[in-house]
Amino acid sequence: MSVAKPDLSVEIAGIKMKNPVMTASGTFGFGEAYEDFFALAGLGAVVVKGVTPEPRKGNTMPRLVETTAGLLNSIGLENPGVETVIKKYLPRLADAGVPVIVNIAGNTVEDYCSVAYRLSSCSVVKGLEVNISCPNVKAGGIAFGSRPESAAEVVNAVRNHTPLPVIVKLSPNVTDIAEMAAAVEAAGADAISLINTLLGMAIDIRTRRPKLGNIMGGLSGPAVKPVAVRMVWQVARRVKIPVIGMGGILTAEDALEFILAGATAVAIGTGQFVNPRCCMDIVEGIKKYCETNEIAKITALCGAAWKEENNAGC
Amino acid sequence: MKYHLPEARVIGQQLTGQGIYLLNILAPEIADLAQPGQFVNIRSTRQLDPLLRRPLSICGVDRNEGLIRLWYQVVGKGTQLMCELLPGETLDMIGPLGRGFKADLTGKKAGLIGGGMGIAPLLFLGGELAKSNSVMAFFGGRNIEQLPKQGFMPKIPCQFATEDGTAGYKGLVTDLFAKWLEQESPDMLYACGPKGMLVQVVRLARQYGIPLQVSLEAVMACGVGACLGCTCAKSSKDEEGWLKACQDGPVFWEQEVDL
Ligand SMILES: Cc1cc2nc3c(=O)[nH]c(=O)nc-3n(C[C@H](O)[C@H](O)[C@H](O)COP(=O)(O)OP(=O)(O)OC[C@H]3O[C@@H](n4cnc5c(N)ncnc54)[C@H](O)[C@@H]3O)c2cc1C
Ligand SMILES: Cc1cc2nc3c(=O)[nH]c(=O)nc-3n(C[C@H](O)[C@H](O)[C@H](O)COP(=O)(O)O)c2cc1C
Ligand code: FES
Repeated sequence: MSVAKPDLSVEIAGIKMKNPVMTASGTFGFGEAYEDFFALAGLGAVVVKGVTPEPRKGNTMPRLVETTAGLLNSIGLENPGVETVIKKYLPRLADAGVPVIVNIAGNTVEDYCSVAYRLSSCSVVKGLEVNISCPNVKAGGIAFGSRPESAAEVVNAVRNHTPLPVIVKLSPNVTDIAEMAAAVEAAGADAISLINTLLGMAIDIRTRRPKLGNIMGGLSGPAVKPVAVRMVWQVARRVKIPVIGMGGILTAEDALEFILAGATAVAIGTGQFVNPRCCMDIVEGIKKYCETNEIAKITALCGAAWKEENNAGC
Repeated sequence: MKYHLPEARVIGQQLTGQGIYLLNILAPEIADLAQPGQFVNIRSTRQLDPLLRRPLSICGVDRNEGLIRLWYQVVGKGTQLMCELLPGETLDMIGPLGRGFKADLTGKKAGLIGGGMGIAPLLFLGGELAKSNSVMAFFGGRNIEQLPKQGFMPKIPCQFATEDGTAGYKGLVTDLFAKWLEQESPDMLYACGPKGMLVQVVRLARQYGIPLQVSLEAVMACGVGACLGCTCAKSSKDEEGWLKACQDGPVFWEQEVDL
């Protein structure tokens, strides 16, 4: 026996998604890059590139280095600034048939608040993802994401500047991820996403210099997956708000691991670079898994790896 | 339109010089649309290392047979795996990608300057331009191994240079090009190759006031404008925005970019 039509829909802080598969910020442009490969409407949600109040040039080249089963990047939040994003990039997403979530960043608490406030009046935007975890910018970003007090301060301030759902994106570059999660939950976060990239570097033995122009960068891709799964597990057990899991997801099997660890939804970043249909293949794969394993609702799998009552049913 | 061909079939592969291969792939959708200067992004393994795709210029197409041709040098893991592919085996390819050369000329005189593997896109371009223009090509390499061979060279007049003198003029390709410019006045110039060569070509093009298009290389992850990893410096500082080699390029007007 198999379930004919499993229900893949999930809800994150009031954002209704037809399936749990989202794009990871910074790896999907503003939704246009992969339109020849699949329709955005097939996704659970689209998360666009990190947006700051002013345009940002980003870091010097080279900004990418491939490592074993991973990618180091030091893009440095290059983006055209919130006004241009609103004028030029968001309107074309209005009819895409998919909830749009905008990732926001800044140097100061005021930066975050002004971008959040500005985006709140755009009907296209269904949620904000607050990036307090970018390892590639000197001020801000990770500075806020590395201490529970400062993370809570940003989240609290953003919370007071927007009626939109606030998703807080955590950095894995901390000692106690569950403590960070608890702090942002208490400060008013509606959901948590993790992980952002792991701080790393690579050295060219020929030139004897760092390979990235910015010296250090953020590691993503399959290499980080076990770390990400562990962190999702720890966070999901600690907080009551939904968790969006990401880090090295390439296949439906990877995505299911995150869901079993406690993620309500998953996001795909580097996987899209490897396979331009990655997100869609994962939606298909999750559906098949549910059919074969008689899972009527995907939400039944969320955290099943530690929720004993659910485990018994599998 | 970009296509994803997860199982494009290898039709044939041959060694054209030490560590340099010519690869024919069945990819009718891409062959149909491809313009000179565009590229494909290739994965030749399903393993996770190497993880990312590798960009290669389209060096020629056979639209009747639905083939595209790539000419590449083995420099690391990705290209090593590629050169081991046998006819009938498949690779995973996206294309055609990027903005190619602007080549809608008729009855004009064009100069092509290529160095090393930068010659690859110019072979495609040369063949197309020669249909209705007079074309002169200058191709340089370290040695004879690095030069294109009869059989996949378009029928265009060509001067070769090698650094070690094993073929053609002994010295830099830009020397040959500079001498030619003293006598000829081309309408359009096209260049692809190492940065040092491009800088020289830009200098000469400016000196003679001839429009020049350059094809640039950058490390790429997505190849489709999603990751912002391949950003190139814009020459004009006051303009808003950035240039992505994979989407706005790889071909640029010389004055658009800061080499
Ligand atoms: C738009 C574009 C078109 C290209 N067209 C061609 C072509 O037609 N023929 C061809 O032979 N090559 C071409 N290249 C370069 C080619 O992409 C690289 O040689 C290839 O990605 C190397 O992969 P690898 O896994 O073998 O080497 P890796 O293991 O990735 O690297 C090995 C060595 O090669 C160097 N390298 C890696 N990537 C590049 C790069 N993009 N440019 C220069 N050096 C690099 C690295 O620094 C390293 O030292 C092109 C690049 C771009 C961006
Ligand atoms: C090229 C690149 C750019 C990124 N840009 C952003 C960004 O602007 N904001 C953000 O919160 N995360 C950014 N990230 C992190 C991803 O959203 C994601 O958290 C991380 O890459 C892990 O997922 P993955 O292994 O599936 O890529 C970026 C990642 C990459 C590879
Ligand atoms: S390679 Fe990703 S934007 Fe150009």
